[in-house]
Amino acid sequence: MDATGIVLCGGHSSRMGRAKAWLPWRGNPLLSHVVEILCEVLDEVLVVAAPDQEIPEVGVRVVEDREPGLGPLAGIREGLAAASTTLAFVTAVDAPLLTPAFVSAMLARRRSAAISVDGYLQTLAAVYPTSAAERAEALLAAGRRRPRDLLESITFESLAPDSLPDPQAIRGFNTPDEYLAAVRGEEPGATAKLEFMGAARLAVGRRDFEVPVGTLAELLSEIPSEKPLLEGDRIARPFIASLEGRSFVRDARIPIGMGEQVILLDASAGG
Amino acid sequence: MDSLIKDPGRKTPPPQKAVGGFHGRYLRVDLESGRQRALPLPESVLRRHLGGIGLGAWLLYREAPPGVEPLSPGAPLIFAFSPLAGTALTTSAKFAIVGRSPLTGYISDGLSSSHFAIAGKALGFDALVFIGRAARPSIWHSGRLLATDLWGASTTETRRALESRGRVACIGPAGENGVRFASISNDGRHAGRGGLGAVMGSKLLKAIVLDGESTTPVADPEEVARLARDLAQRSRGDATAKYRELGTTANLNTFNRLAILPTRNFQQSRFEGAERLGGEAGSSLLRTERRACASCTIGCEHRYRSSEKNPRQNDIPGAATTGSGIRIEYESLFALGPLCGIDDPERVLAAAQRCDELGLDTISCGATIAFAMECGERGWLAEGPDFGDAEALLGLIEEIAERRGLGDLLAEGSRRAAQRIGHDAPRIAPHVKGLELPGYEPRAMQAMALGLAVSTRGADHNKSGAYEADFSEFVDRRRGNATSVRLAIESEDRAALLDSLILCKFLRGAFDDLYRDTAALLAAVTGWQIGGDELREIARRNIALRKAYNIREGWKSEEDALPPRFHEAPLELGPSRGARLPRERLNEMIRLYNRFRGWTDAGYLPGDLLRELELGEEYGDPT
Repeated sequence: MDATGIVLCGGHSSRMGRAKAWLPWRGNPLLSHVVEILCEVLDEVLVVAAPDQEIPEVGVRVVEDREPGLGPLAGIREGLAAASTTLAFVTAVDAPLLTPAFVSAMLARRRSAAISVDGYLQTLAAVYPTSAAERAEALLAAGRRRPRDLLESITFESLAPDSLPDPQAIRGFNTPDEYLAAVRGEEPGATAKLEFMGAARLAVGRRDFEVPVGTLAELLSEIPSEKPLLEGDRIARPFIASLEGRSFVRDARIPIGMGEQVILLDASAGG
Repeated sequence: MDSLIKDPGRKTPPPQKAVGGFHGRYLRVDLESGRQRALPLPESVLRRHLGGIGLGAWLLYREAPPGVEPLSPGAPLIFAFSPLAGTALTTSAKFAIVGRSPLTGYISDGLSSSHFAIAGKALGFDALVFIGRAARPSIWHSGRLLATDLWGASTTETRRALESRGRVACIGPAGENGVRFASISNDGRHAGRGGLGAVMGSKLLKAIVLDGESTTPVADPEEVARLARDLAQRSRGDATAKYRELGTTANLNTFNRLAILPTRNFQQSRFEGAERLGGEAGSSLLRTERRACASCTIGCEHRYRSSEKNPRQNDIPGAATTGSGIRIEYESLFALGPLCGIDDPERVLAAAQRCDELGLDTISCGATIAFAMECGERGWLAEGPDFGDAEALLGLIEEIAERRGLGDLLAEGSRRAAQRIGHDAPRIAPHVKGLELPGYEPRAMQAMALGLAVSTRGADHNKSGAYEADFSEFVDRRRGNATSVRLAIESEDRAALLDSLILCKFLRGAFDDLYRDTAALLAAVTGWQIGGDELREIARRNIALRKAYNIREGWKSEEDALPPRFHEAPLELGPSRGARLPRERLNEMIRLYNRFRGWTDAGYLPGDLLRELELGEEYGDPT
């Protein structure tokens, strides 16, 4: 299809507590999942990420968001400017239920379009003309940062959800509870793995545990240990948790998804 | 043994009145003329630099003639004690050994610990400075220079021969033979990095034996005792549990899991034999005993033997056949194991033991041999050993210490060896400024990469603990940025403070506020009204002083760099897969490091900063 898929993943994910791009979903990081869906129907897919943001391997072009602090409109601008087609389907990374049929239907109108739910435009599951990049630039220069401002400055079609296949495709998740509910809905028996290294292994007496998905605090509270693993909502010192050995966290309110591996280790590892 | 000095040092001036914790003087010993002279250390100097590496750097700047060759008689070898040593404060029995490194040509300021530190402080001086070259192999015994027939003896043989006289610091055959990464050993501990054992050997000084009996008054003995009890209590808490319960060898499995374990001369970051070596349950390293340095309540020293049955064990030189096993730390384990592609626990332990006996720095020794293995693999070194060849490792350790065969080349360290090997060898030689890298993969630990690149001592994990930043939630370890730089600087400052007080870095997590809490310790010992802010300033000053020394000795900006290999291929395995460290990123981090420190972008010390740090005009303004 002669259109570009644009995935925005440079947001702060502050309510989720961890980068949404890496949240496991159906066996893959969420970003990889969304990119795969788009690649099923589009020849060109771009990911817009903040400078130096670590993202999963996606096998498509990654465009740098020069001003990630300005919000999604800046990301849309970067994606539209980098696209080689005339139309683009823009989605946020937290679109786990996106389907090829939904994307195809949105683009079949060959014009800019967005779903309206109870009067709210879904600007991050919408079709934009790539020529709107300059207009987005002008809006940002004028201090206007809402993607809705961009849509409203061009001609677009407002669609009702039930006019499209798979209307649930616009559902995302912003909090650990929302994400975990979605995971449990998909796979009721979903589990994650806790690994213990060094003094943490001595404290729990085992190398690893298979536990039901939940927040990190929920997972750790189930593990019998000679030493506290939690201090309130945080990992107890001197330990720290690593997600897949990649990033490190102390905030235990974050969700841990299906198949994910969390390593508890000494923060003083090294010396 | 005959005394070479007819007037054996008893006539040195008495200590001048000094603040608590210090003697206010140091002893300069000219091994050539036999002259020994006590020289004053003004309180203003001690307060600006404290002891340990700070005092050592201050003395090096003054006592070393500019441009002096590290292995020439004029090069000083400095043993610097500290204000806290000799008190009941836990982990305070430490001292610094400072000199110009024969490996890097720049400052080398290592630490060691235990009884020698207490005996040294009790000699009545804050530092001992050895210059000149003795007429024959000698020992220096609390003021007397004595000829010795111990030349050629191992460090253990030397200690055993002399320990009835006092506490011993000595070199092994490697130091005697000028191996550029020779260590100095005391009480079973080793000041390994930078090759000051070769400096000691160049002076024909086999050992220093100390049996001082003077005491160093402290300003407020009751408060010191109270603080010591509190600190001891803290030292038994969770912050030091890893060191007590597992020792640093536990890093091996963790690093392997995170794919940051340097393997086969930094060609990979995971080692398939790590589990066998890892020092935890399930590995073949069997923990036999735990020991502590003098005045230490942590007890981090774990000893091991292999649990694997080996009928030929007695044929392995250095193997632990009986008794308490062999002491090994993570750095030795990584360098002699995964870095050389070796997973045989018995032979890795034996290699560590032989390095200690011969007086070799295990990191530089293992890394230089691993480098030779890769050169062999690439066809650049005809007699190069193979990765994984444990017998070759053990043989090369002996050859290096004796400077024979291939060992003579490798005794020069990887930088010099690479220049002689030619081909593309300098690209893969694992060093910074000539000092071989410790066991942290820089591509996937980029705050640490910065710390290694800018360290005045060369690639050194003791001067920069920036791995803590990489293991934190504040940075992405695979993408260094300005926050990584800030945290690396904070880590370097903390290390400089602890190394000047001196307290063990393993205690660092036991403080609520390192600067405030250690200021209270120092105030009780010295009587100074001193706070955390002043200690921060002292740390900054001592770091700048080390840099000033290097600048005087010809340091150039381009030497703050990592070997080219780290900027080329990304890592391939595990959680570090795809990790890259572009040269531009590291250069930008170095620029920010210099700027945040108030140095010029190129890393020089501006005159106004020198004045701010009260370092005086004598440190120059090379800008």
